[in-house]
Amino acid sequence: MADELLPNPSKRISIRNLNKFYKDFLALDRLNIDIERGEKIVILGPSGSGKSTFIRCFNRIEPHDSGVLMIDGKVIDDKTDLTALRGNVGMVFQNYNLFPHLSVLDNCTLAPRLVRKTPRADAEAAAHRYLTQVGIDEQAAKYPIQLSGGQQQRAAIARALCMNPEIILFDEPTAALDPEAIAGIVSIIQDLAAQEITTICVTHEMGFARRIADRIVFMDKGSILEIAPPEEFFTTPQTDRALAFLNQMIHF
Amino acid sequence: MIFCGQHKTYLHRVLMRIGAVATAVTLYSLSCPAQAEELPSFATDGQLTACTNPTLPPMTFVNGADTSAVAGFDIDVTRELARMWHLKPVITTMDFEGMFPSLASERCGIVISGVLRQTGREKNYDAVPYLDSSIVVIAKSGTPKIASLSDLAGQSVAVETGTSYEALIEKENKVLASQGRPAIQLQMYPSEDQVIQQVLIGRVHALISQDVEVFFRQKQLGGKVSIILTPDNPDFREFAIYLRKNAHDKALLQAAISDMKQRGLLEQLSHKWGISDQEAQVFSEQNAPSAFSVPVFVSALTSAAFLKGAALTLIVAVLSHLTAILISIPVALKLNGPRSPLQMFLTAYVGVFRGAPTLLQLLFIWNALPQFFPIFRESWFTPFLATWISLSINESAYQVEINRAALRAVDSGQLLAAEALGMKKSVIYRHVIFPQALRIALPPTINDFISLLKTTSLASVISLQELLAVTQIQVARTFQFTEYYSAALVWYLAMVFFFLYLQKRIERRFSWADRNEATANG
Repeated sequence: MADELLPNPSKRISIRNLNKFYKDFLALDRLNIDIERGEKIVILGPSGSGKSTFIRCFNRIEPHDSGVLMIDGKVIDDKTDLTALRGNVGMVFQNYNLFPHLSVLDNCTLAPRLVRKTPRADAEAAAHRYLTQVGIDEQAAKYPIQLSGGQQQRAAIARALCMNPEIILFDEPTAALDPEAIAGIVSIIQDLAAQEITTICVTHEMGFARRIADRIVFMDKGSILEIAPPEEFFTTPQTDRALAFLNQMIHF
Repeated sequence: MIFCGQHKTYLHRVLMRIGAVATAVTLYSLSCPAQAEELPSFATDGQLTACTNPTLPPMTFVNGADTSAVAGFDIDVTRELARMWHLKPVITTMDFEGMFPSLASERCGIVISGVLRQTGREKNYDAVPYLDSSIVVIAKSGTPKIASLSDLAGQSVAVETGTSYEALIEKENKVLASQGRPAIQLQMYPSEDQVIQQVLIGRVHALISQDVEVFFRQKQLGGKVSIILTPDNPDFREFAIYLRKNAHDKALLQAAISDMKQRGLLEQLSHKWGISDQEAQVFSEQNAPSAFSVPVFVSALTSAAFLKGAALTLIVAVLSHLTAILISIPVALKLNGPRSPLQMFLTAYVGVFRGAPTLLQLLFIWNALPQFFPIFRESWFTPFLATWISLSINESAYQVEINRAALRAVDSGQLLAAEALGMKKSVIYRHVIFPQALRIALPPTINDFISLLKTTSLASVISLQELLAVTQIQVARTFQFTEYYSAALVWYLAMVFFFLYLQKRIERRFSWADRNEATANG
């Protein structure tokens, strides 16, 4: 856990005492963490523990209520330019949420063209580059419905990459995928880390978490209970709650 | 000077005689004939505005393929009145039911449409008689003559809606009931030609009408009907011009009519329109109409009148629906959004305009609105504009529900994903939400549009000359039901099929939603 009381502007992400309420319900309870450039963070925890809410604070899809969220030394609050923030912090969803009425290529170029005003030709060149990186450039002209789940998730990652983010949030990206497709996503995320892109991933997939995480964050009831490297977390969890959680997951 | 009273001697002959309106103002009119400097108060902006329902030949009808050219006895009288007062005659055509509300809302200065002078009507309006008439009961040729209305007991009788024959029959039915006899079965139809058609096709035993109209129909009817009774009833003896209550206006109008009579003008008009004594002969036996005349059908189908009617129908439907869609999108977004006081208002809006009959909304906007806001009386507020407004509001209420459902059907993850890409709400709706909602909204929207295209026919009540109004006017003129109805049917179907084709074309662009039909668009 981050020890300093003040946020650390030299980190890619620095969070101090982050709180989020839904009316009277405390959804996030005094969260503290520092995250490095290119680091791969996996957030684990039971359903309703606040994992998804937490990562949605990073791009202000869910604005936090108090505490400090700092990205690259800049405080994120209600004065932050959301377009710039969300360009810098991409997001990939469990159900991919591709735009069904647009081809894969147009899915990738829509935001650059409309938000960044990138000329179509430049946007398409970049899109082909990222589609090649995730290994589905030959599917560029197809509609999402024509792709497999794994291909759709790769397309969604390429779409996020087209905004050149430095951070990508993954909200249970593998929940709807088969093991082979999951392996593909793992290698893509490792690629991203090599490019110094920070990835923060919410998952229920223990194997997946173990293979990609630099550090595991364990949450329960809106609090961060443990932050540890995967080997340490999976072999010697420090809290009873984490131990109970791991036992349950193994039995399933 | 012609004095009245003599016409009653022609009871069993088909009679038409000018006169009967001798009043004190005759002297006034003698002293100052046509050049009366004083104008009635309903003459505004140098215009004499008259409302008429041109389905009652020879009084008022469309005497040719051009629906805007009305003609007839009443029209000639109106033109003469305008000439005498140095005004410009402005004749507005509309359904019978629309005329008195239009008079009340000051949309027209007078109603002249072969309307009978009746004490009931004179409670609310002033009436100035201008032509004698006689009520007649007509049945198929060969039907024996009857002695009184009570002989129709148990029989079916057709009359035109909005006329006062209904009250006459009901009065008779009360008498019949007290005698323990069966009632006369009344059927009402919106135009005179339809009333006659019921007798011709044998749906009803007889019809009630005025003699002038039946004379004019002689040729068209080809001796297929005959008069079986000419009851003498004081309430059905005179055609009158109606105006808003104003003793001064009434006196001026009476003076003008007396003057026309003196000059023999009304007598001339009677000859011109075939309602004088000479022409009031027994029905001739010529020109029995054939079942279906292809040349008539083809010429109706290709006539300028039908083309104009269809174009008007199409334009008013397309404009109304486009406006409705523009209104409905923000309303649907608001209703799908978080709770707010505005939502309650919008819910009420949708409820009221989906709930109220479209016809009622049309009549309300055209006839009631000018009573609250005089600005809607002015000439810029045309039947076209009124129809456009009414149908837009009405259709928007339906379209809101379509849009609401379509917007809800778009996965909420789409908004989330687009927001996460930094897109603004307006851009997200334009490029992500609406294109997907359109796929869901299109079939019910086209469905509604087709329905709206046909709903425009209701606008004939507020005198919009759309396709069905044109058809009815032409039928009233020619009495060729099947040919003109068929032509209208072909036009409606052609328009509907065009839009169904358009729907199919647009739906092809939604292939992305179907795995089997989606085609790579690279």
